[in-house]
Amino acid sequence: MIIEMKNIRKHFGGLEVLKDISFVVDSGEVVSIIGPSGSGKSTLLRCATFLETIDGGEITYMGERAAYTVEDGKAVYVPHHELRHFRSYCGLVFQQFHLFPHYSVLKNLIDAPVEVQKRSREEAVETAMGLLRKMGIEDKADAYPYQLSGGQQQRVAIARALAMKPEILFFDEPTSALDPELTGEVLKVIRQLADERMTMVVVTHEMPFAKAVSNRVLFMDGGVIVEQGHPLQVFDNPQEDRTKQFLRVFER
Amino acid sequence: MMKKIIATLMAFTMLAAVPCAAASDAETASGAEAASGEDFVFKHGFDLDYPPYSYRDEKGDIGGFDVEMAQAVCEYYGWKYEPVPFNWDAKDAELNAGSCDCIWSGFTMNGREDDYLWSKPYSDNTQMIMVKKDSGIEKLDDLAGKIVGVQTSTSAYDLLNDEEGQAALAQTFGSLEVYETYTIAFNDLKAGAIDAIAIDVTSGNFLMSGETDYAFLDEALGSEQYAIGFRKDDTELCDKINAALDALAKDGTFDKIGKKYPEIYDYLTLNK
Amino acid sequence: MTLITMLTTMSEGMLRTIGIFVLTLVGSLPLGMIVALLRKSRFSVIRLLIRVYISVIRGTPLMLQLLVWYFGPYYLFGWSIRGWRFPALILGFIVNYAAYFAEIYRGGIESIPAGQYEAAEVLGYSKGQTFMRIILPQVIKRIMPSVTNEVITLVKDTSLAFTLAYQEVFSLAKQISASQTSFMPFLIAGIFYFVANYVVAFIMERIEKALDYYK
Repeated sequence: MIIEMKNIRKHFGGLEVLKDISFVVDSGEVVSIIGPSGSGKSTLLRCATFLETIDGGEITYMGERAAYTVEDGKAVYVPHHELRHFRSYCGLVFQQFHLFPHYSVLKNLIDAPVEVQKRSREEAVETAMGLLRKMGIEDKADAYPYQLSGGQQQRVAIARALAMKPEILFFDEPTSALDPELTGEVLKVIRQLADERMTMVVVTHEMPFAKAVSNRVLFMDGGVIVEQGHPLQVFDNPQEDRTKQFLRVFER
Repeated sequence: MMKKIIATLMAFTMLAAVPCAAASDAETASGAEAASGEDFVFKHGFDLDYPPYSYRDEKGDIGGFDVEMAQAVCEYYGWKYEPVPFNWDAKDAELNAGSCDCIWSGFTMNGREDDYLWSKPYSDNTQMIMVKKDSGIEKLDDLAGKIVGVQTSTSAYDLLNDEEGQAALAQTFGSLEVYETYTIAFNDLKAGAIDAIAIDVTSGNFLMSGETDYAFLDEALGSEQYAIGFRKDDTELCDKINAALDALAKDGTFDKIGKKYPEIYDYLTLNK
Repeated sequence: MTLITMLTTMSEGMLRTIGIFVLTLVGSLPLGMIVALLRKSRFSVIRLLIRVYISVIRGTPLMLQLLVWYFGPYYLFGWSIRGWRFPALILGFIVNYAAYFAEIYRGGIESIPAGQYEAAEVLGYSKGQTFMRIILPQVIKRIMPSVTNEVITLVKDTSLAFTLAYQEVFSLAKQISASQTSFMPFLIAGIFYFVANYVVAFIMERIEKALDYYK
């Protein structure tokens, strides 16, 4: 078990975004999260990667508790310096890439490993070049992000997250900001990672992709997990009305 | 809006503190207590924009009649001379804060009699009207409708704005142009942009030296005297300077220094 | 006075002007960053103080501030201000320019997308690393044009040192012009300021070019 999120609650102001959500991701699993916008998918990812703090519930990585609920129902986190250790377990790929524009592609990939993880530069470069090769953008190592296409930028972003050697990689709508003809190259990379048994959670609107690549699909709506299961079951034989309704939009 | 109000208030509070504190603390800055010893440093406050009393001389050094006289006084007592050039608009703050011991820079005492402790006057000064010789302006009345230039913060400027002075005359001018320096005003007179300049006779002589086409009107605008201004409680220093001026007048030093400045020599008084 | 004497005398003033300029930049560029960061402090008292400081500095003339810096210690506390003229002048300039630079920095910092902070956070950068390695380099590139403007204004603002009778090039030009009844000193001062600004603009342009490697 890589991550376990238990009874997660989160609200922004008066709006409850996550209502008592629980889920587990096992090593080597690829989980797709689908659902209408505003259903809490992104917030769930942001809570899992510590960009947002949960109000209640429990987050456990690799059997170690990062956040838990005390008696009055409020969540408490481990101290700041320990949280950095938990961050190293997870990577996040953003919808908008968020590459560092002032760093070359290679520097984007090696800066955090060297500066944060204190790994040797030689090793970091080697790892980075290997990842770029795998992403098919080895020749772009010295380019700057603005010189790349959106698809190339997103592949660099994936490589940047992988360069940290995380246990699990989260994707927040990785192809939504891309032109349709560029989504293929990014999905191909994710598919390749799935073949290598990389543990991943992908928030996506690419239904065929989710169906083909994931071991499990979660359908979220209104801050709860409405339905989950094997993709063939969720897509071809949904049990819940809300799931059917949502999927019908995509069939057309 | 609120921010602006706060900012303004802050600025004014700081300014308002200035005169109050000045009144109570003035004695701490007094130079008089030490004015007796050989170690005394005489801090001569003056404006470098006022030739030929205090200015940059031919070599670019600090010089002028007042500077040379102050140095002579220091020599007389064995004091150390320290020039303190200041911005004329800040002269009172400089004096009260003790960064200088006196204002000695062609400083007019008339109208300011009660504001400072004054030395004896050492130079007369008359305010005149300078015109081009061929301008047709011959007396003050001819200035009606004409453009007259004057330098800000000068005796001539004060006189033309003083109800008891020549404000009535200034009303008859076409306009009164106020300049930052007489150099610019004189240039405008040369160029014909203005018709006349109201100016201290000494400064006027200085401007006209080497020029032949300009002259003063015979009628003077007003007359006043230059003296040295001290902080009001600094009587010991004032007395000492007065005594030194007397002695230097007597032994001919005053006259000797005065001769170096022909533009003002005729108006110096202690040698007569 | 010969032209050579005039130039020699004024060149001392030019050196003093350059001195004000350099010391002001050396002091105010880093101080402005500290002010900009304090403005985002967790403590509301500090935030308020910084806001008051910035609005007072921007809401009052520099000339007035210089007078307060120089005469303030005496009038407020009765301290002797002997030898205080130059330090007061430089302090006045630094504190004034730091406020303007702080506002430029603040604008630059706020213009960096939140995604940059989030990407850095997920990668495990500390707050300090995030600022120094990720945010600041991008801020510097974005604010260069505004900083250039401010630096050029500073070249011209140095002439306000005349308020405290510091003998910089413009004060000397005025004095020599008065004693020589000549405009030559102003012409020389004008050429000096122009050349100084030309050099500043040239250097800033080079820096901007050097930062042009990314967008």
